[in-house]
Amino acid sequence: MTTLTRQDLNFGQVIADILCEFLEVAIHLILYVREVYPSGIFQKRKKYNVPVQMSCHPELNQYIQDTLHCVKPLIEKNDAEKVVVVIMDKEHHPVERFVFEISQPPLLSISSETLLSHVEQLLRAFILKISVCDAILNNNPPGCSFTVLVHTRDAATRNMEKVQVIKDFPWIVADEQEVHMQEPRLIPLKTMTSDIVKMQLYVEERAQKT
Amino acid sequence: MDELYLDNIDEFVNDHDKIVTYKWLSLTLGVHVNTAKQMLFHYLDHKRKESSPQLHATYLVSGKFVDKGQPGHTVSVVREDQLEDLKAKMSLIVSVHVYSVQKALLKDSGPLYSVDYDAVKDNLKSCSRYSAIRCAGAVPMSTQELQQTEREPQRAPSPELAAKRSGESKPAPKPSTKPQRGIMGMFANKAPAKSQESGKEVKPEQRGDEPMAVATKSKPAAKANPAMNFFGNQTSKKPDKAVKEEEAAAAAAAAAAAAAAAAVPSSCAAEQRHQSSPPEEKQEAAAAAAEEEEESPKDAKKDSRSKTKRIADSDSEEEKMEKKKRRRIKKPQPDSSDEDVIPDSPQQKETREPSPRPEMEVESVSHSHQSLPGAKTRKRRRVLKARTFVDDEGCIVTEKGYESESYSEAEDDAKAAKRAPADFIPAKPPAGSREDEKKKSQKKTSANASKGSKQASIMGFFQKK
Repeated sequence: MTTLTRQDLNFGQVIADILCEFLEVAIHLILYVREVYPSGIFQKRKKYNVPVQMSCHPELNQYIQDTLHCVKPLIEKNDAEKVVVVIMDKEHHPVERFVFEISQPPLLSISSETLLSHVEQLLRAFILKISVCDAILNNNPPGCSFTVLVHTRDAATRNMEKVQVIKDFPWIVADEQEVHMQEPRLIPLKTMTSDIVKMQLYVEERAQKT
Repeated sequence: MDELYLDNIDEFVNDHDKIVTYKWLSLTLGVHVNTAKQMLFHYLDHKRKESSPQLHATYLVSGKFVDKGQPGHTVSVVREDQLEDLKAKMSLIVSVHVYSVQKALLKDSGPLYSVDYDAVKDNLKSCSRYSAIRCAGAVPMSTQELQQTEREPQRAPSPELAAKRSGESKPAPKPSTKPQRGIMGMFANKAPAKSQESGKEVKPEQRGDEPMAVATKSKPAAKANPAMNFFGNQTSKKPDKAVKEEEAAAAAAAAAAAAAAAAVPSSCAAEQRHQSSPPEEKQEAAAAAAEEEEESPKDAKKDSRSKTKRIADSDSEEEKMEKKKRRRIKKPQPDSSDEDVIPDSPQQKETREPSPRPEMEVESVSHSHQSLPGAKTRKRRRVLKARTFVDDEGCIVTEKGYESESYSEAEDDAKAAKRAPADFIPAKPPAGSREDEKKKSQKKTSANASKGSKQASIMGFFQKK
């Protein structure tokens, strides 16, 4: 039974891969459940052995993939604190924010006995929770758009500005108005704790949406 | 019945925002599924009377349905608002019950499956403990029976059946593709048949698919392939109406399950249209058994086929060249791997012994050819065995074996004739045939080759002769 530590070659990458895959599925699902895009572009696919809705629109998929591709190095180095999917109305005021708080234990070590199937089960629970979140959230006004924000430690932000991970896909510091929401209501959705990562998902919702 | 369950369900639905399906409830509370269904119904009734915050429910409806002139048995999971519509369409309603209760209005049926997935997985061995479907004959097969079914060749019926079923199922997917053409037509490379968003007609069926997938997947998994589980359990069940429902739905569900092979979903789509009956059960069983067997002997047969091809193609001179080349490549291979290989070789040999002799001959000759990693290791293993034998003989034998390998089998035969009596290796079944001698001589030669690799300098001296 080998024990891997963070210094080992692929360990940070493994976690980043798992989380980025999960975030991709989660973003697609959020877009479906919150009706940001018409449901016709979504197609049922399988992830973690359960059906999930993924979009077929090539540009949307490319955008989400590029976004997560840039986020991945931050997660690898444990620089990303939160990944936020913000849904904004026509005037670009945030209406809902789905916040994924990610934290990795600093002295991380896993043994080969760590079953990733347990992590899969936890991620499945997240996906299920996102599917039913419309029970607790009010409907969004029509014509919404979305964006992805990443809250990172200071140094990492500067690095991101300096180095374009993907060409012509720059990351900029978010505007104040995109980050702060008026009269937010906090609704926790799900928490997970595992050997390799701790993640929390909650939704901040604006009290008046229209 | 005490009223605690009402509070329990209330807690699950309102406080935890869960989707409560009857199956999940029965596994969580440890009650029979019919009791769980009744509990959900009472709860819903109770809450509706109290006019508390809005609850949504889904129902499972099963009954006879005439679809475009073809009568069939359909099982569907529908939302409450579609319930009356569907009931009106059915010619005979066999059963209606509450499938799930939740606070959220579900846009599609995916979460219903996810809910049951983990609960069933946790109780995999006993997931049918509270089930209403029983069959005394449905017991897991013993390992002996499993091996027997694997060996029996039943591949002939399966292609015919597959052809039949694929023909039957073609009309089925076509209607479902039409409603999606509108938006999906915009995206060039996507398969419209898979999209299930638009088309209410498509929805009830599909919803029926997935919850049934849940129901049938819950059966204990004696075999690896989940699709096989459906059929393996289904065919032994008594043909009750409830069972027929499950079969039809299981058939439809297997279509939804991604793992099923092409033959299986086509059979399923067809099944949904027709009355299930014993002949179809047999087809399913045959297809099931055939598929399973296909997978296991496929690898062995592929290997043997490819090897015969190789033999047919190569020339003797090419063999020489290849042997020489391969030998050089083989030399640097670490000898420690040989040692690792030693423990494996007896097991490997045992498994190969039962296989028919032509295969063995084929394999042995093939060692002179290509660079399959498997073939290489096999050759090395035989080398090891031979090596122990050779030690008794002394150096002279090794030298000879080494030389003969560098030429071709023609040499081998001549040398083999001399050495055949002395070189009898007990592990292989003895025979007076040339092929066996070939094998042994090759083992010798390969043994010598490997020995040569250790004493590279000395062998190199002799080689130049």
